[in-house]
Amino acid sequence: MNYTFQFGVVFARLPELWQGALLSLEIGVLSFWGGALLGLLLAAFKVYGSGVVRWLANSFIVFFTNTPAVIQIYFLYYGLPEIGVLWSNVTCVIVGLTLNTGAYLAEIMRAGFISVHRTELEAAETLGFARWQQIRHVILPHIAKVIYPALANYFVVLMLGTSMASIFGVNELTGQAYNIASDNYRHIEMFTVVAGIYILLTFIASLSLAFFGRWAFRVRARIF
Amino acid sequence: MDRVIEQLPRFLSPLNLWFLAEAMGMTLALTFFGCGLGFLLAFIVVYMRLSPGWWGLPWRVLAILFVETFRRIPFLVITYLVLFFIAAFVKGASLVLVALTAISIYSTAYASEIIRGGFESVPRQQIEAATAMNFSRWQTLIKVIVPQSWPVILPPAVVFMVAFVKDTSLVSQIGVFELTFRGKELNNQGFSGLLVFGTVALLYFVMSYPLSRFGAWLEHRLAAPRHQKPERELR
Repeated sequence: MNYTFQFGVVFARLPELWQGALLSLEIGVLSFWGGALLGLLLAAFKVYGSGVVRWLANSFIVFFTNTPAVIQIYFLYYGLPEIGVLWSNVTCVIVGLTLNTGAYLAEIMRAGFISVHRTELEAAETLGFARWQQIRHVILPHIAKVIYPALANYFVVLMLGTSMASIFGVNELTGQAYNIASDNYRHIEMFTVVAGIYILLTFIASLSLAFFGRWAFRVRARIF
Repeated sequence: MDRVIEQLPRFLSPLNLWFLAEAMGMTLALTFFGCGLGFLLAFIVVYMRLSPGWWGLPWRVLAILFVETFRRIPFLVITYLVLFFIAAFVKGASLVLVALTAISIYSTAYASEIIRGGFESVPRQQIEAATAMNFSRWQTLIKVIVPQSWPVILPPAVVFMVAFVKDTSLVSQIGVFELTFRGKELNNQGFSGLLVFGTVALLYFVMSYPLSRFGAWLEHRLAAPRHQKPERELR
């Protein structure tokens, strides 16, 4: 136990870490929205599609939820150049995470789709709602209320998942920390601080998502 | 694509296949021991979190702090932290031990949420009845809460384990000899990335898919009677 902690050197590099955190957030948000769109498409295929389309969507979901995201990105990063597709590391990470997220979010959205009962639509029709009114006042609020907590939760999971971009040499929060730590040999302090930043970021994300959900969809989301 | 076909016979040599099988064994071992230890420790964490009264306050705070902290740090960062802490304070610790420690910390944090969810599904009146019968806290837990909550805990626990098979791939970053690490090595030996990572993805699928089907089956099997009971009575 003869190790002297020196956090000063780490705090001096906070601006660089902050840049990394912004890149993390960027990767997270981009792949979340990409994944949400993909998930919506897949869920629609799975719920409303015919035989082949449903089978395809389902096998996509099953394959991507049963293999690690890192391997998917490795495949894009080392595999695709062989067939002539050259993407930068950030692109590979974002595309990989998008595909992975899409598969997971498809399951969540499917649950939202099938939670709308036929009887609700019939009730809306009886009350003389037009089609768009049904969508606006019955279907969307219902789906949003069912899937919002799960989506918010997944966003936090994804934010943590962006740390794997550092494996591919992207200078997001973890990568930046690793670079700086190899500069000044303060690995322990560096990763302690980075862990703190991740806690802060995800905490802010959960808190604001919970408040937004309460305001927009009247969801009672748990923060803890 | 030509490269893949050309390398295929060399790639599927007995030695390579044996190395891949060994790496799969390592991944499975890390998953099972990490999750097993995690659930054991999580049980203790939940027991701490359920401690009553003013005397239990520090325990509760400690348990919540532990769970909330480690659920908000990426697994990769936890692995690095454990690696560097152990490297600084313990001489000559093996990498597998480091990985196992990191996995256990991570799985404890997540498993304790699963176990707590299961325990909270037990109706409060059951616990009050047990208290009225002068059961001690430990007796209430073992004889009343656990028998009623394990069907609620088991399916998400299996789902969590499936997720874990995949999460252990990040441990390759510190040099533990498991499937992803082996894949990286093969790629460095000059095998085509399509071939290597396609195979590795397939092997992960082979490990993960049966487990996830088992989880789905368990969920159906264990959860169905609860929801269907009133329906059945109506018919």
